[in-house]
Amino acid sequence: MSLRVGVAGAGGFGRAIAVASARHGHEVALWSRREHELPDPIRVSTDIAGLRDCELIFLAVPARHAVDVAEQLGEVVDGRHSMVHVSRGLVGAELKTITQVIRDKTVCRRLGALAGPLVADALAEGRPSGAILGTGFPELTDMVREALGGAGLRIYETRDVLGVELASATVGFLTVVLAYAQELGLEPSTIAVLATRGIVEVSRIGQTLGAKESTFMGLAGLGDLIAAVAGDQRPELRLGRALAQGADLSNAVGEAGAYVEGIDVARHMIEHARRLGLETPISSTFVAVSEGRLGQDDAIHALMERRIGKE
Amino acid sequence: MLKRFLSEHPLRLPHIKPYVPRPSDPSIFWFNSERDDIVSDVVKRICTNHESDRTRLEIALNDAAYHEIRRLETQRDEEARDRLGYWRAMIRRIGKMDDTEQRRVLHTIVTEMTRDVAGNFDPRVYRFARQAAPRLIGGIMEPRRLVTAAPESLDRVLKVQGDLERLRQLQNEGSLVFVPTHSSNLDSIVLAQALEISGLPPVVYGAGKNLFTNPIISFFMHNLGAYRVDRRIRVSLYKDILKLYSQVMIERGYHSLFFPGGTRSRSGMIERHVKLGLLGSAVEAFTTNQVRRVDRPVWFVPTTINYALVLEAETLIKDWLMEEGQARYIIEDDEFSRIDRWFAFFRKMVGMRGACIIRFGDPIDPFGNRVDGRAQSLTPTGRTIDPGGYVEHRGKPVVDAQRDAAYTRELGEVLAQRYEEDTVLMSTQVVAHVLFRDLVQSTPGMDLFARLRLRGEIGLDCETLCRELGEARDRLRGLEAKGRVRMSDVVKEDTPTELLERALSFWNGYHDSTAATLEGDRVVLGDPALLLYYQNRLVPFAEDIASPDQLQAACEIANLGVHR
Repeated sequence: MSLRVGVAGAGGFGRAIAVASARHGHEVALWSRREHELPDPIRVSTDIAGLRDCELIFLAVPARHAVDVAEQLGEVVDGRHSMVHVSRGLVGAELKTITQVIRDKTVCRRLGALAGPLVADALAEGRPSGAILGTGFPELTDMVREALGGAGLRIYETRDVLGVELASATVGFLTVVLAYAQELGLEPSTIAVLATRGIVEVSRIGQTLGAKESTFMGLAGLGDLIAAVAGDQRPELRLGRALAQGADLSNAVGEAGAYVEGIDVARHMIEHARRLGLETPISSTFVAVSEGRLGQDDAIHALMERRIGKE
Repeated sequence: MLKRFLSEHPLRLPHIKPYVPRPSDPSIFWFNSERDDIVSDVVKRICTNHESDRTRLEIALNDAAYHEIRRLETQRDEEARDRLGYWRAMIRRIGKMDDTEQRRVLHTIVTEMTRDVAGNFDPRVYRFARQAAPRLIGGIMEPRRLVTAAPESLDRVLKVQGDLERLRQLQNEGSLVFVPTHSSNLDSIVLAQALEISGLPPVVYGAGKNLFTNPIISFFMHNLGAYRVDRRIRVSLYKDILKLYSQVMIERGYHSLFFPGGTRSRSGMIERHVKLGLLGSAVEAFTTNQVRRVDRPVWFVPTTINYALVLEAETLIKDWLMEEGQARYIIEDDEFSRIDRWFAFFRKMVGMRGACIIRFGDPIDPFGNRVDGRAQSLTPTGRTIDPGGYVEHRGKPVVDAQRDAAYTRELGEVLAQRYEEDTVLMSTQVVAHVLFRDLVQSTPGMDLFARLRLRGEIGLDCETLCRELGEARDRLRGLEAKGRVRMSDVVKEDTPTELLERALSFWNGYHDSTAATLEGDRVVLGDPALLLYYQNRLVPFAEDIASPDQLQAACEIANLGVHR
């Protein structure tokens, strides 16, 4: 049975979702602020009311636009709709997740967060890949699998929506850190230490907010980070490399070619951890580096000279 | 012997002429005429659920027998002598029974349990109680005015807030489910009184079976619609029956009450996590009515019960500190069971204006949306929506237990948020917070338990304290303007000095130990554990009402809420 799929946002991921859904034979409506050319039968509109008839809506806009777009969707959706977002960011100093934003601004309650190592190109072209959907609604998982899945895409499910959103947002930051370290030519073993201790660090903070540790160790966290290190060419990698080459943050962001939310997320996370008395050595050090407050050598020394504890 | 008899055979008044409810009567007046039908509906649904699957049926019977044998072996009382043999014989036979016999046994067990749960409603008892209760409670407060002006005493103590008109409009359109915060065993009594004086309908609620052993309480509880919950019974079928009984009552339009926190808040903090069992029964009641095309919506009324003085504060905070809150589900011997403490408590309360505030929050539908007086669910911008859409799948309303469980979890989060916003901060709580924050600030690096041992060792200058109280109150005003919390009129209107004196006066002479006392121009912290209990209400707001130099101490206080 064909689904009526809506996509809010015509960035790389939004277009990939629209193409994948259309390929599986579903009716697809895409909303964007600007006109876009997309292959038939995808209906493109600049009027968000065009999504009203959709059963399943994907919110595919960066976190900084999520509040605005969710407000607009609030005038369109009701209890019949299901909504899934694919953002890798969080909103504001209180680390608000995108599902929390949607809940505040709309009456939609069947919500989910799609994350993990899935990238836009693989999704659009139907290459084998995998993702994780955080949702409390099993029927939503069925719909997303029906809309995007098929033989080429394995979509796993977890009820830890918060964990998926926090892991996804913090992996964005850790990806910048690892790209930076790789560009500096650090040993693979050092990269491995940064990756695993980085995940532990963000997972500890995530748990204080109510997320599960296991989610950080799964597809949404470690799995996504492995894909990043394997070189899936996401903007965070370009940002990290540019910083390692000596660019300042604003120039590095320019070279990344897309807005990277990771550094902002890390700043808010450090503040949250400080209030709780938690240590954030990797995040604090790297944010200081990205802001030019700490040199490369000093950063490495600061991390290496820390007291070593149990894993 | 008498206790057991009363708990199993609650007293009822003889019926010479059955009461025929009038159309204007609250829904519960129809309960007696529908009780047998409700019981058989519950029994039928539970049995149908189990009978289709032999394995499930066998597991249910084994579970029932196993848990009942364990309970009765521990109880070693008359009930054990009567019933242990039945269960032991049954557990041996389950495997040998054919399908028909297993179903028959299931039906018998479920019917007995459901009958034991179901309550009674006698309009005569209700009328008596609504006239006598304020006088009795007022009389306890001021014995010398027992006959004349006792109800006014109660009015002075108990204040009701909220959009009562909207609730009165909704009561005839669907089922109202009151979901209050829980601080004290007095909660159900003051809440029943708050409903009465607000012109709101009486409600159905579950009461611990242990309360039914007192003949007077049993008589009133049983005849005012309470259903009996025996917390000793661990049988899964019994838990299913309780949930389904609550669900069926809500489906049929009986207004209900349950405490989603499950048990009294041991810490004094506003409930952050709610139990989902009974909450889920109300969500499923909504779904079932939608699927059956019965136009009887369900609305939740988040309610906060705010006391300046909590009857059982000392026992509760002790229990929390011992981290036994989970294990000791029923505290057997607390202030609630001591009549001298009741008198002391009420006398203390009556001297203080608005010492208990019940706030009925704005009603919400099962999906957390606001509801207006015309029974319409609204979006955040005020657009009307059909809540039935939430239970539709591809255009049709369907029962989906997993989906409804997810809605229930979300509803639990909404309630926790609403509890914060609808909490009315009382004088003792605000003063305790400022005192406790000063204690934390003056003992850097010390852990919580070391601080709690500092009885009578810390004194604070009154002038500084009053200045800090004034500043904290100003910041609370800011939070109130943003809709994050509320303050009682006393907290809003008193000068800081009056506020301090009021709180000290509340504490003085009621609890076994005194939270804080005035000695010259200094306030000496008497029992930091009591201060902790009262100040815990402000944990979510601690960082927002601290000045920059108090922030570190406020963070420590805020973290009390994170780690628990």
